[in-house]
Amino acid sequence: MSMSVEAPSLLPAVARGDTAAFEELYDRHSGILYALLLRILSSGEDAQEVLQETFAKAWSSASKFDASRGSEVAWLISIARSRGIDRLRSRKVRLDRENDAGREISIRSSFVERTTGADRAIVSQQQTAVRGALGDLPDAQRIALELAYFEGLSQSEIAQRLSEPLGTIKTRMQLGMKKLRERSRAFR
Amino acid sequence: MTHEEYEAIAALDAIGAASADEENALRAHLESCDQCRKARREFEEAATLLARSLEPVPPPADVRDRVMAATGAGETTLREHYRFAVRPWWLATAATVFLALWGWRELGIRAAREKVVSQDAEIRRLSEENARLNDRTRKLSSEISSLASRDTRMISLAGQRVSPGASAKFFLEPSRRRAVVFFYNLPANPGDKSYQLWIIRADQPKPQSAGVFDVPNGGNATISVENLPVATEIKALAVTLEPRGGVARPTNTNFYLTGKS
Repeated sequence: MSMSVEAPSLLPAVARGDTAAFEELYDRHSGILYALLLRILSSGEDAQEVLQETFAKAWSSASKFDASRGSEVAWLISIARSRGIDRLRSRKVRLDRENDAGREISIRSSFVERTTGADRAIVSQQQTAVRGALGDLPDAQRIALELAYFEGLSQSEIAQRLSEPLGTIKTRMQLGMKKLRERSRAFR
Repeated sequence: MTHEEYEAIAALDAIGAASADEENALRAHLESCDQCRKARREFEEAATLLARSLEPVPPPADVRDRVMAATGAGETTLREHYRFAVRPWWLATAATVFLALWGWRELGIRAAREKVVSQDAEIRRLSEENARLNDRTRKLSSEISSLASRDTRMISLAGQRVSPGASAKFFLEPSRRRAVVFFYNLPANPGDKSYQLWIIRADQPKPQSAGVFDVPNGGNATISVENLPVATEIKALAVTLEPRGGVARPTNTNFYLTGKS
């Protein structure tokens, strides 16, 4: 079964210096990358800076992209997430996250108001499928995965945060990742 | 370790949750195992589902402009890209200007970050200094109180054979059982020794330590003593030179100062 709705990758063209392709690449993925960076950093200013860095990296390293190893969006997400977590750790934004929780909610709400019509239809087709895949995960597994992925917490930090034994947390994350791996095959 | 165990680590590694030891073991194994390398790639792809489930948020319009400017894309098309390519002097000039501006901006950001770090360190230093000064103020207030109290008694200590020019004044505030002691003209103590003040009590045969102190080259020192015995039990005072940090009982009778209550 294939649920892929992704267009052919633009990165080979970007690697050849095709600026139009690069602009299209930005328009295609900046929304999801910015959402990811907002989720990690809880700061619009930081998220915008790291988004710039992410696309600068994509422009300079597009030739290293290998479609046989993963999708274009996954490649970009990996760059953005890695840089976002680095920024989070270096600026110790983590301490401010709880104070900024309200701001994050308002940012998300503003998107819902601004995204309409065709944009929303394109976005929702794939997202409904992705959210369905995540929705299959038990909450305990999903929460542990999200703490690692979005907050960059280690196994022991997650165990401490959730007041659970370290072994339990590892098992939950491994089971959750196995399920996600199965689901992700549908998006390749 | 089995492939299954390496795959379990790969699952954690894909979301950055593997421990350092696990990560090192996995890296070493992946160099020679196609199967686990493939699994690692699939877990990495799977992890992105967590990001892809988020509601996209369009970044502000000026971010797009900055990204395009930074990469030289701007409004140019592929055709324009090649047109510029045949005019390398133009491109080189633009690139130089851009790099200069970018570098200037980056330097500004770096300088601002360093300034913030520096100011944070200065704030910490000043906070510690403030705490130290507050502590000093409390101590001085306590000493002044001991000296100025209506019931304060003074005991003089005189230099002995090893230090005939030395002296001390012991200001005792009986109601609070504390004292301030001023020492004058004592020889500076060697680095491996400390002076120790002893109280000879009327109700106990053995001397009781009242504190350890150092005397610099100037010969003078001041100490505060808390939790003293009641004044009527203080029979005499004495100072000896002891191993650094003090001892439970005097190790010698070579008194530097003595005084009777």
